[in-house]
Amino acid sequence: MKRLEQSNISTLLTPLHPPRKGSLLYHWRNIFKNIHAYSFFIRQLVRINILRDFKRSYIGLLWLFILPVLSVIIWILLNGAGIVEPGETGIPYPAFVLLSTSIWGFFAELYRSTSRIFTERGNMMIMARFPHEVLVVERILVHLIRFSIPFLVNIVVLLLFGVRFTWLALLFPLTLLPLLILGMAIGLVVSLLRVVAVDIASLADHGINFLMFLTPVVYAPTIGIGWLSEAIRFNPLTYLIGFSRDVLTQGAFYEPAAWGICTALALLFFLFAVRFFVMSEPKVIERLIDN
Amino acid sequence: MLHTTPLLSVRNLYKKFSRDIRYNLYYGAQDLLGDTFGLKTEYLQLRKKEFWTLADINFDLFAGEILGIVGANGSGKTTLMRLIADIYHLEAGTIYGRPEQKITAVFALAAGMQPLFTGRENIYIKGSMYGMGKTEIDAKMAFIKDFSELGGELDRPFGNYSSGMRARLAYAIAIATEPDIFIIDEALAVGDSVFKAKCFDHLKEYVRQPDKAVLFVSNNIRKVLKVATQVLVMKKGRIIYESTDVKAALNHYILNCLDDLDEEQRQRKLRRVQKYDM
Repeated sequence: MKRLEQSNISTLLTPLHPPRKGSLLYHWRNIFKNIHAYSFFIRQLVRINILRDFKRSYIGLLWLFILPVLSVIIWILLNGAGIVEPGETGIPYPAFVLLSTSIWGFFAELYRSTSRIFTERGNMMIMARFPHEVLVVERILVHLIRFSIPFLVNIVVLLLFGVRFTWLALLFPLTLLPLLILGMAIGLVVSLLRVVAVDIASLADHGINFLMFLTPVVYAPTIGIGWLSEAIRFNPLTYLIGFSRDVLTQGAFYEPAAWGICTALALLFFLFAVRFFVMSEPKVIERLIDN
Repeated sequence: MLHTTPLLSVRNLYKKFSRDIRYNLYYGAQDLLGDTFGLKTEYLQLRKKEFWTLADINFDLFAGEILGIVGANGSGKTTLMRLIADIYHLEAGTIYGRPEQKITAVFALAAGMQPLFTGRENIYIKGSMYGMGKTEIDAKMAFIKDFSELGGELDRPFGNYSSGMRARLAYAIAIATEPDIFIIDEALAVGDSVFKAKCFDHLKEYVRQPDKAVLFVSNNIRKVLKVATQVLVMKKGRIIYESTDVKAALNHYILNCLDDLDEEQRQRKLRRVQKYDM
C-alpha cells in the first residue's frame, strides 16, 4: 500500500487531537466555543432528561408540583407531632426547614448530578466524540428547571405561613450562584474520581450527606450545642445558605463579611476544578469499564 | 486508485491498557495526580500488568478508499478507531489530518438513541450529538426519511422499532453528517440483508465524491470482500499485513489470526475468499 513520505505529511496535513494545554483563559474561550457549537445538542439532552421520567406517566409534568406539596405536608405533620425545639428560626419552623432544605438541595443535588457525569453518560462518551462540557451545562440547566418549579410551590407555602417578602428577596436567585459554583466544582472533581478512585467518590458522597447535619438546615444557626456550634461556625455552607435564606425571608444580609470570603473561596475552587476537569477528563474515558 | 489526496496519516501510534481492573483504575488515579502536579511519566514504559493494545501503528488513508480493518477480537481495532475519532486520548504517536475535516464514527448504531422518544425526535437527538444544528438536521430530514425507508413509522417510539429499523435509522443519521472520514466499526452487524446491501452500495458511491474515505472495521469476511478497496490485518495490537489485494489480505487473516478454528473450517473460509467474484 502506498505510504506518504514524512516530508509530504507535514506539508499536506496537520496533527489532529493535540494534547490540551494553555492558559486558563484559553480553556474558558474553548469551553464557551464548544457550548455554543453544541447548543442544540444541549437543548436535546435537557429535553430528554426532563421529559423521559414523565413520558410514561399519565399526569406527566404535574409530578413536578405534586412532589413538593407532599414534602411540605410531611414537614407540617412532623412539626405538629412536636419536633425538638430547633433554636430561634425567625420564621415558623416548617417554613424555615422547607426553605433551608430546598436551598441545601440546590447545592447537594448539583453536586450529585455533576459528579455522576461519567457513570451516567459514559456510554455516550465512548460511542461518539462531542465536547464533554456540554454534559455539565445540561446538568446545570436540568437542575435549574427541577429546582425552580418546586421552589415556586415553596414560595406560596411560605406566604401561607405568614412570611412577608421585601424587595431584597429579588436578589435571591443571585445569592444561589456561589452555591451553584461550589456544588458544581466539587461535583466535577469527584466525577473524575468516581471513575478511577471509586472509594474516594463514595466517601465524598457520604461526606456531603453528613455535611447537611453540620449546616443549619433543619435547625437554626443559633443552636447552642458545644462542638456543633463550632462546626457550624467554620462551615462555609452556614454562610452561603444562611445568606440566601435571610435575603428571602428577612430582607437582611446574614454575616456579609463571612459570606464574601466564602464566595471568593468558592470561586477560586471552581476555577481550579474546571481546569482540573478540562485537563484530565480526556484521559479517564479509556478507564471507563462498566458501560 | 487514481486518487492521491491523503486524508489521514497515522504514525508510530501506541496505546497501552491494563489487564487488571484494579491496576487499570490505580494507574488512572496515578496519571490524574501526575498531571495535576506536573509529574511526567514515560508513556512508552509498560507498568506492571499493562500491555500494548496498539503498538507502532502506521498507515495512510487516501480519498476514495474504503479501508477494511480485520483482526481477531481484542486485536486493537476499536481502540484504533476511538483514537482516530478523538474519543480516547492520544498519548504516543501522531494522527495527521486536515484541521477542519469531519470524522463521524459509528461503533454501535443505537448508541445514544432514546427508546421513549419517536424516531423523528431521535433524529434531532442523534444528529445534534454528531454536532449538527437544527437547520442542518431539518435540511437532512428528507434524506434520512428516504434512506432509512421508515416513512410513516418515523413518529412511532424508537423503542418499538425492530432491530432492523433501528439500524436503518441510525445509519441514515450518521451518513447524513456527510463525514470526510466515515468510521464504521462492526455497526452493520445488525439489520436486514437488503438494507446492508444498500449500505454497501451507498458506501462505494459515497467515496467517489471528492475527499471522502471510509474506515470499515469488521470480522465478517464476506462484508470486507464486498466493500473494501484495501485491507489492514491486525494482530495483538500490530498491523501484521496490509495490501490493496483484498483476497490476499483476507487469506493472511484466516491463516494467521483465526487460531481457534480447526483446519477444515479454515479451508472452508479460504475457499469462500478464493471463489468470491469481485
